[in-house]
Amino acid sequence: MSGIVAATVAAPSALAGGANVIAVGVLLAEFGMFRQALLRDQVRLYAAQSALISVLAVVVAATRHLPDLYALAALSFGLKTVIVPIVLRRMLRGIGAIGGDPRWNDIAGSHALSVASAVLIAIAVAAFGFFTVAALGLRSPVLPATALSISVAVVLVAFVLMIVRRDVISQAIGFLSLENGVSLTALVVAAGLPLILEIAFLFDLLVAVVVFGLLIRVHHGRAESMSTAELTSLQG
Amino acid sequence: MSPALPIPVVQLLQVVTIAAAAPGVSGVISRVEARLQGRRGPRVLQPYYDIAKLFCKEALAPIGSSWVFLAAPLAAMTCYLTVPLLIPVLTTFGLPLGYMGDILGGGFILSLASFVVAVAALDTGSPYAQLGASRAKTFGAITEPVVLFVVFTVALVTGTDLPYALAATVRSSAGQIVRPAHLLAAAALFMVILYETGRIPVETHTGTNEFGMIEEARPFEHSGPYFALLKWGSAMKQLILYTILLNVFVAPWGLAATPSLVSVLLAIVALIGKAAVLGVVVAVIDNSFAKLRLFKITEFAAGAFLLAVLGVFTLYLGGG
Repeated sequence: MSGIVAATVAAPSALAGGANVIAVGVLLAEFGMFRQALLRDQVRLYAAQSALISVLAVVVAATRHLPDLYALAALSFGLKTVIVPIVLRRMLRGIGAIGGDPRWNDIAGSHALSVASAVLIAIAVAAFGFFTVAALGLRSPVLPATALSISVAVVLVAFVLMIVRRDVISQAIGFLSLENGVSLTALVVAAGLPLILEIAFLFDLLVAVVVFGLLIRVHHGRAESMSTAELTSLQG
Repeated sequence: MSPALPIPVVQLLQVVTIAAAAPGVSGVISRVEARLQGRRGPRVLQPYYDIAKLFCKEALAPIGSSWVFLAAPLAAMTCYLTVPLLIPVLTTFGLPLGYMGDILGGGFILSLASFVVAVAALDTGSPYAQLGASRAKTFGAITEPVVLFVVFTVALVTGTDLPYALAATVRSSAGQIVRPAHLLAAAALFMVILYETGRIPVETHTGTNEFGMIEEARPFEHSGPYFALLKWGSAMKQLILYTILLNVFVAPWGLAATPSLVSVLLAIVALIGKAAVLGVVVAVIDNSFAKLRLFKITEFAAGAFLLAVLGVFTLYLGGG
């Protein structure tokens, strides 16, 4: 019976396979954000996605002997899985978005498209990202090239998320998870990047959180709503 | 060394195992589900008593229904008795009739069964049965692409779409199990199975729950032995799908490598054990999630489609 067991696409090594599974997990978390209608769940999903990236960084650090990455993984875990979600949640509670105020239900209805259509469009966009990056033929010494394609797909899907949701918070989360896609890319193509640069990027993220916090507060103060559909007129 | 069974007997045992164990697996699921809800629940053997009772009852057909109504349960049962010949139920080696059809062939026979039941439901003129038939066909059309992409994954991994080949590939090394394509395809297939067997995110399996009903609404007008055949058939379909998931994708271990009596008997026990474990998982899912609104089922199907498509993509990129 061994005659029929001729694998056409050979299995990757256990390490490459595991790394790809984690990268696919990051992408699936991104898709999961389409489905989530509650702010709390979206923040939770963002934290889980960030945690997956830290896990991948630890895997790379352990297998490729890059001790810098341990520090990066710890820092990124502390910042993106713990601090940013806490800050986001506190901010949302501060303006009453978490806690059952019915006015905030417009988050759930902020889809410009049905979830199924949005997912299909995102699949098409992700496919574009997959195959264009694969065509570039980039090779990385630390992680399989598939992870690079997947990371670009994460970035593009985050764009789709920001486009199809019409509330400020989903768009903020879309932007933050886009940064997760960028960190995944960085992990694949530049795992040996100096630590100081990586840390600078992470603090950029904190700036983004502050800016989005300000934006959400200002928008809420003016429009009494989270919906960006209210933003129809220009002010001089 | 135990005596070797003749190959045709092993082949027959595949069908007999599925047919005999199927109501029991349904019984285990409803028992576990009841225990999780804090009820005592029916006996594990209850589905057998139900079927036996129905076989003793009188059969009625609605006025105006044609021979299709009465032929459909028999045709569906024939389909369900054919599929176990094609898939690895008990053995790791392919049995002679196992090469009659590949995964797609088995899928076609299963959809033929579902088609004849739907036609019979339309033939009754009963609104509920027709509603169920039309919904089953509509959502079936949405889940069909998922199955196709799962088959593509199998074809890319093994170079063939014989279920025996994939099972052998999965057994061959640990690298074949952690590869993303395999995990994604198995997860997508599991979601399709939840849909096909009418389990929770899609449909409540127990009780006559009017508007949300899909599969369960179709045999509304059947009675007596015909209804028994349909019930038995849907239990067999469930066990067939579980067998495909377990013996081809998730856990192709415990199968008989030789036709010796002991190893075949062990394989029967192993299959029933694995199916019961999967049934417990399904019962836990049944109790942990709410039923989706009918128009949200497309989201469920889109999720399964996403997993299957990503599996094919990662394979094409060479990293699957």
